[in-house]
Amino acid sequence: MPDVDLLVVGAGPAGAVAAWHAKQAAPALDVVLLERDRAVGSPVRCAEGVGDAGLREFANPDGAEWVSRRITDVVFQAPDDTEVLLADCGLGWILDRTRFDAHLAAEAAAAGAQVLVGAEATGMSRNGDGRWHVRVKERGRDETYRARIVIGADGVETMVGRWAGLDTRVPARDMESCAQYVLQGIDFNPDAIYLQFSNAIAPGGYAWIFPKAVGVANVGLGLVALKTDGRNAREYLDAWIARRFPNGARTGYTVGGVIVHTTIKKTYADGVMVAGDAAHMLNPLSGGGITTAMKAGRLAGGTAAAAICAGDTSERRLSTYHEAWMQLLGEDHLKYYRIKQALGNVDDTSFNQLARTVNKIPAEKRTIGRVFTHALIKHPQLIPVAARFFV
Amino acid sequence: MRRVTPDTIAVVDLAVCDRCGLCLPLCPPEAIHLELNMLTVDDAACTGCEKCVGPCPVGALAMAPPAYA
Repeated sequence: MPDVDLLVVGAGPAGAVAAWHAKQAAPALDVVLLERDRAVGSPVRCAEGVGDAGLREFANPDGAEWVSRRITDVVFQAPDDTEVLLADCGLGWILDRTRFDAHLAAEAAAAGAQVLVGAEATGMSRNGDGRWHVRVKERGRDETYRARIVIGADGVETMVGRWAGLDTRVPARDMESCAQYVLQGIDFNPDAIYLQFSNAIAPGGYAWIFPKAVGVANVGLGLVALKTDGRNAREYLDAWIARRFPNGARTGYTVGGVIVHTTIKKTYADGVMVAGDAAHMLNPLSGGGITTAMKAGRLAGGTAAAAICAGDTSERRLSTYHEAWMQLLGEDHLKYYRIKQALGNVDDTSFNQLARTVNKIPAEKRTIGRVFTHALIKHPQLIPVAARFFV
Repeated sequence: MRRVTPDTIAVVDLAVCDRCGLCLPLCPPEAIHLELNMLTVDDAACTGCEKCVGPCPVGALAMAPPAYA
């Protein structure tokens, strides 16, 4: 029975950064990072967009082989296809997640963590020895790892949290069902991401175009099933693409769930922390979760290392992880969640009117703050939406 | 302990399922499992609430009488 200090389940951004930072903080610890799939970063279940500042806390994108595209502009599209361009509104990147996740796992390995691919945790129990016993299937072989701390970074499925007795369930209204194609040979501005809001196109969510190269993009949408007409996400996406890009070649396809909720009430237990999607640590407004996952992983890894070195892996000790997370981003996500709920009440006609009004602001003066102020003056029906933002 | 058997329970079409795991946290009794790249519904635990059916992005889940599940 392998005996380790820290076992991290899931080698996505949260898990890889947790293993990397734990090992960096306490090089003497035995840290093992498990990945269920045969390759870290695959299959990609992500639109791959990330903001510049958050990314740079963990990796330098300049000239990196794990970057697909540099983004400078955002194009908002109203339900009737009216476009609102926000030029130079902040730098962002479209990643190549197969390479990016592998890069982070390599950082963890370089720091001295052991990375195991094709290794799936299938259950765990707390024994009298004060350690977690984690059952792992690795190429048909069963192994039990004994760990002082387990970090669950196992994504939407969030099994580690479930095994540790945490409530990781999601109400249906807070689950976005997503579908995405990689489309080739389509025409769009390759320096911009496109976001289209419409209850007819993606009820309760939005549709997106994220460029991977000139003429190539991740084209997808997320929706809330409770608000649909009965079709599933893939059927909504097929209808949107048939209208927008009938000649695009579909060279990739993925589906998945994005939890647009707020951080779970309790992200820790005796000898356990959960991080990233598994703890619902995403921006509930955008559905973005790469940077949030890395920040959560850094906190979890640091907390784990300090706790193991201090010989105290109790729930009380690990609760500092939860507090630090809530201070860093968790409280902000509560605010974003309220905005999301308010936006859900805006109908397509209002969105169309808003887009036309905003376009009357000269492009060079069009900042998100001005757009917001202008929207409220010209469209007082949006005031309740704005008010809920500050509640 | 007596348990009321629902009229219909969730069944998964594995030819359509993409193994994305979206349905797992939606299931109140935690009756859906994804292990070794295989999605399964625990017939005995499913309460027939249908919360997993609509959100499946590819329509791989449906309700069926337990006898046919």
